[in-house]
Amino acid sequence: MKALAGIRVVDFSWVRAGPWATRWLGAFGAEVIKIEWPENERGRLPSTTTPQHLEVNLNTSGNFNDTNVNKKSLSLNVRTAKGLDIVKRLVAVSDIVIENFSSRVLRNWGLGYDELRRIKPDIVYVSMSGYGHTGRHHHYTTFGPVAQAVSGLTYLSGLPGQPPAGWGWSYMDDTGGMYGAMGAMTGLYHRNMTGQGQHIDLSQMVASVPLVGPALLDFTVNGRGSRRPGYPPGNRAHWPGAPLAANHRGGPTVAPHNAYRTDPGGYNDWCVIACQSDDEWRQLVRVMGSPAWAGDDKFATVAGRLEHQEALDDGIEAWTRTLGKYAATEQCQAAGVRAMPVQSAEDRVEHDPQLRQREMYLEMEHPALGRHKVQNAPFKLSETPAVNSMPSPMIGEHTREIVEGLLGLPHEELQAGFADGTFWPTQRARFPYQEEMLR
Amino acid sequence: MMDASLPPGPLAGLRVLELAGETGQFCGKLLGDLGSDVIKIEPPGGEPCRRLGPFVDDIPHPERNLSFWYYNTSKRGITLNLETADGRALFRRLAATADIVLETFPPGHLSSLGCDYAALSKDNPGLILCSLTPFGQTGPWRDYLSSDLLHMAAGGEMASSGYDEADVPNAPPIAPGGGNAWHMGCHFAYMAIVAALVHRTVSGRGQYIDASIHEACALTTESAIANYVYRGEVLERHTGRHHAAGPSPRTQFRAADGNYVCALVGGRLNPKYMKELADLLDTNGMAGDLRDPKYQDQAVITANTSHIVDELVAGFIASLPAEEVYHRAQERGFTWGAVRAPEQLLADPHLADRGFWKEVAHPELGRNVTYPGEAAIYNGSPWRISRRAPLMGEHNAEILCGELDLSPGELTMLAENRVI
Repeated sequence: MKALAGIRVVDFSWVRAGPWATRWLGAFGAEVIKIEWPENERGRLPSTTTPQHLEVNLNTSGNFNDTNVNKKSLSLNVRTAKGLDIVKRLVAVSDIVIENFSSRVLRNWGLGYDELRRIKPDIVYVSMSGYGHTGRHHHYTTFGPVAQAVSGLTYLSGLPGQPPAGWGWSYMDDTGGMYGAMGAMTGLYHRNMTGQGQHIDLSQMVASVPLVGPALLDFTVNGRGSRRPGYPPGNRAHWPGAPLAANHRGGPTVAPHNAYRTDPGGYNDWCVIACQSDDEWRQLVRVMGSPAWAGDDKFATVAGRLEHQEALDDGIEAWTRTLGKYAATEQCQAAGVRAMPVQSAEDRVEHDPQLRQREMYLEMEHPALGRHKVQNAPFKLSETPAVNSMPSPMIGEHTREIVEGLLGLPHEELQAGFADGTFWPTQRARFPYQEEMLR
Repeated sequence: MMDASLPPGPLAGLRVLELAGETGQFCGKLLGDLGSDVIKIEPPGGEPCRRLGPFVDDIPHPERNLSFWYYNTSKRGITLNLETADGRALFRRLAATADIVLETFPPGHLSSLGCDYAALSKDNPGLILCSLTPFGQTGPWRDYLSSDLLHMAAGGEMASSGYDEADVPNAPPIAPGGGNAWHMGCHFAYMAIVAALVHRTVSGRGQYIDASIHEACALTTESAIANYVYRGEVLERHTGRHHAAGPSPRTQFRAADGNYVCALVGGRLNPKYMKELADLLDTNGMAGDLRDPKYQDQAVITANTSHIVDELVAGFIASLPAEEVYHRAQERGFTWGAVRAPEQLLADPHLADRGFWKEVAHPELGRNVTYPGEAAIYNGSPWRISRRAPLMGEHNAEILCGELDLSPGELTMLAENRVI
């Protein structure tokens, strides 16, 4: 049994944030129909995740595959009268529409909320644009890093006195996707309870702002901004010598609280250690073999450890350098000391015993890519597990199934639509599976 | 604050019991701001995270904690000692009235109190119980201690974030700030809970959810896993921009006021873009040689990427304040942004147009406080902050006497015996 069994989603989204949203609707069992057009496709190409031995084409992006499992693909030129008609027929038998175009695009195509609710009065329509459909900058555009910069997220990450380090990826594409899925399912629950659909206007930039809430309240209440000496404090809870103030990381102001090099000293050979009490610190000292330096009175109190962090961190790192990051973690955790390895993607997939036991990465066969591990859900539902059931679709793979099977059009219309450029550009070579569906 | 003329939120009518500390309280806020009746159950003396700063006027006090305020809007609060039989009995009575229980105890603790899913759902088959824990209910790490920093390390966030060697030699991987491990866990927990709610509208049945913060973090690094799985690549950290398998053009530039601008230019350079870029840089007379016809040849553009990015674009940005660069660029269709400190957002007119900032009354302090608002505008069933975070035990009488029908004498007895 799936939580969203029987729910159909018309998915106009592309690149990352929107597809990451609909990926979860698919995992919960909704039938997600991705509307795609190869001429202006963004998400399959350009691909930097195609295996080295394969040709880069619309069906060989590894990242696209992971982002689009559990979906179907309908290739359709929406900017033709015939294409528009097919979309409207599809919306009439669907529950959710999700799109992540700039704010006025779908309305200009005649597919805005006001038009679509005439076709399906209780449709849940989620717009995921950069700045939202409301507000003077609705026409501004974002990528994850821009949303992160403008909202203050980037600023909160880095070493004091250095440029912001920010986030090394589009955190707000991932998280914008979360809010898209949350909005769609919340709207769906509300529809099931009241019979009412609605338009949900999600903005990637605005969705970033609630994630810096405590820093904002520190400013609106105390007038303390984040542009201040010693902030942000890198991996520490507090930068030595700066005035003491909360760091907004959601934990106490303590030391040690840092990243330390481990053996053999490679690029990702680091572990982090944080002691949230004197007791945890004393345990760490025991785990380190009670070295003489650690017995110095200046390290006996949290105030002393905060003041003398340079010496403290040097001493701890001298110990961690003698161990691998997993060994350091296990020794600390066995003694009740907070520690974890810095894990690369390879570490998570190959070496993390917890993720392995929880079956985070299970293999799945894809017709063009072959057999590869795909990311699973971070939650286990006892009655309606969210497990991956299908690899990502090849472009237009389900066009016949949807046009003939779902919408009930005759096979001749499919053939005519391929001939007149509704289902595939007339000048563009077709994939073998498309030739097959035209027979 | 609360506008009675607005329709109810999308989760109106649902009751949530929240047994959550700093790791899960944001999930309760997400549920409460969208209309659920969230009852936060704290141990007598309050949730330990009430002790975390910052505090109002820097005066430490459990009722003046700004982070607690922020993450506990739209909730009512009671105190209940689940280590006592009386406390557990009251909790079970409340759970019989609940749609959702959210808990963040160490694995096995709820069960040891006789309050696991089987016990709580016996007379309430529609109940959804979500356990949100650092590593989940099973596996070799399930009992490990954690913190935001630890999750940023194990989840892969740190491996992707940091500095170019040229900018900060020997820099460690940097854990992104802001307490986002808890946000990631709470986003996924919220999603699972609402999926279970949708299922319940059809089946009438609730269920148990085992959600893991570590897995949520491990899932939130965009293409890092795909780069490894499909190409065997382990990515490098770069200052203020994407991890990558090798060097990449910089995207963060210092503006005239010392603030930074995020400008994604490299990788987008083509003949059409070059003309638009020349127009933008010319607004401050900084186009240099960009109008030279040679830049209509892609090969010449590619060969001159460093000149275009590191000299011309960097020079233009260095000539103006960051906010000015941001708006000039966006008005011309460039996806650029100022790297702002959070406090700059209060002056953002776009957020004001969206009615983003909310004034929330704190009557016991005689003041209103400005809070950040909603990620998304729900046009048919609005998001709202229905009340400020509860004071410790604020709703004990309202809920225990008003709803569970305890007498004032019983309430006193429970307080004397440290049950509430």
